[in-house]
Amino acid sequence: MIMNKKYLVGVFDDEHTLVDAFEKALAKGVVIEEVYTPYPIHEILHGMKNKTNITTAAFLYGLFAVAMLIGGMYWAAVVDWPLLFGGKPFNTFPSFIVVTIVGTILTITILTLLTFSVRSKIYPGKTAVIIDIRATDDKFIIVLDQDKMGIKKPEVTQLFQTHGATEIYEQDANTN
Amino acid sequence: MESKMHNLEDRLIVQKNFKYLLYFLIGIGIISMVAGFVLDPERAWANYLLNNYYFVSLAIGAAFFGAIQYITQAGWSSAFKRIPEAMASYLPFAAVFFLFMYFGMHTLFHWSHEGITQTDALLAHKAPYLNVPFFFFRVVLFFGLWILMTKLLRKLSLKEDAEGGMVNFYKSEKYSKILIFILGISFTLFAIDMIMSLEPHWFSGLFAAKSFIAAFLHAATVIALIVIILHKIGHLPMLNRSHLHDFSRYIFMLSIIWGYFNFAEYMIIWYGNIPEETIFYVSRSQGVFGVLFFVNIILNWFIPFLFLMPRMTSRSKLFMVPIIVLLMIGQYTELYYYIWPAVVHGSKFGILEIGTYLGFLGLFTLVVTNTLSKANLVPLNHPYLEESVYHQF
Repeated sequence: MIMNKKYLVGVFDDEHTLVDAFEKALAKGVVIEEVYTPYPIHEILHGMKNKTNITTAAFLYGLFAVAMLIGGMYWAAVVDWPLLFGGKPFNTFPSFIVVTIVGTILTITILTLLTFSVRSKIYPGKTAVIIDIRATDDKFIIVLDQDKMGIKKPEVTQLFQTHGATEIYEQDANTN
Repeated sequence: MESKMHNLEDRLIVQKNFKYLLYFLIGIGIISMVAGFVLDPERAWANYLLNNYYFVSLAIGAAFFGAIQYITQAGWSSAFKRIPEAMASYLPFAAVFFLFMYFGMHTLFHWSHEGITQTDALLAHKAPYLNVPFFFFRVVLFFGLWILMTKLLRKLSLKEDAEGGMVNFYKSEKYSKILIFILGISFTLFAIDMIMSLEPHWFSGLFAAKSFIAAFLHAATVIALIVIILHKIGHLPMLNRSHLHDFSRYIFMLSIIWGYFNFAEYMIIWYGNIPEETIFYVSRSQGVFGVLFFVNIILNWFIPFLFLMPRMTSRSKLFMVPIIVLLMIGQYTELYYYIWPAVVHGSKFGILEIGTYLGFLGLFTLVVTNTLSKANLVPLNHPYLEESVYHQF
């Protein structure tokens, strides 16, 4: 999938130079592939415009779980196999709620995990694509796809250099 | 970036007309109370207790909210800390009102009846705790502690405004830690005294904790409402969507806890099916009270839970203000649901109730606005003020 991509990688030492370069690059119309930082940064989150609908999905899974759990318990306790417990009605609704709360949390967790895995194409045992190992430590990395940067390479290099990039290099995606 | 830290010196000036409106509301309240005592003393005392408890729980919840901000060293809320302080300044007035309840003990609390311990074995057993002198000793003790601690924190806060430095902040944090212990123990006992002992034969382990959470929840909503109103009339210019989101999180989180406690209490009693416990719900499942049971859950849990869940609605005043108003009604219906079956033995609701509520609301607003106007609306030397002004996520 990402085999033959050629990347241009800019390495920054701290948050301020990174955000500065990031915003200047966006203003110039540079298409940024991805930014890797040791911790989340508001400006990057806003600038990348990565929107997620996973919360909506989680809410729908919750509705699904509530319907299935209450429906299932009602079916088991009232329709299919009614049992008398010391004068209690068959439909013991308040005691269904406890199971519903716990079961809903479990269902949402598992289904959201699966959705996330499918959407971001990860699975157990997959080799991680790490553009620059130092991004997991203390460096801030901006990654550009050389085929669709929206701007010429020397200009990007110059832009990054004037805004405090400590290092700029090219990399093939499949070398790591 | 243009600095937002300038022009934070800003005092609330209470308009004359607004004050007259509040006096008018208090007048309505006094007339309703007097009319109530003449026409239907039981209802009047029930009203008196309900509104007293309603506004004292707002004051206590606000004091707790303020203390939590200090203990967690929360940055986002520091610009708004005058509002919980001002709400807590209602406590001395509430203390006087609760002492006046001496004259209504006989009507409100049937454990206080003369000679009842001879005929009622359970009340005789509880008499060492539930007796009139000890009851008022507790009222005096609790209010004494609350007023002392909130005044102390208020004094430190004003001192910080004048002097700056970190000393007052650390002191406030220390006293806040003491305050939450005092509130945690005393307000739960207070709720048992004032609401639960209306039904002295009833047993519930969760009632006091639920009352505490209800106070915290409704105080958090009223703090958010006052902040929004002040912003609307041109104060607190730093208020942005991130602050609103944080207020919404408080409301959302606390309404879930309220719903959890409410459900847990009901479920255990329903499942156990012991007469000592179910007696509470027997009189509260008939007529209007059977409906109010669900109204409580809808207003205090379901609506905030559903409508403050999405990110978009929880940072929008358009959604928050109606939810806050519904929660304020929810607090009223909750207390009505507890008090009326025990005292009035019926669901009477009319001009008397509305008038009394408006009177207390007027007084509470008068006290809060008065305290707010006495100091700068923004704590200028608070160490986290800058973080609060630039709060964004």
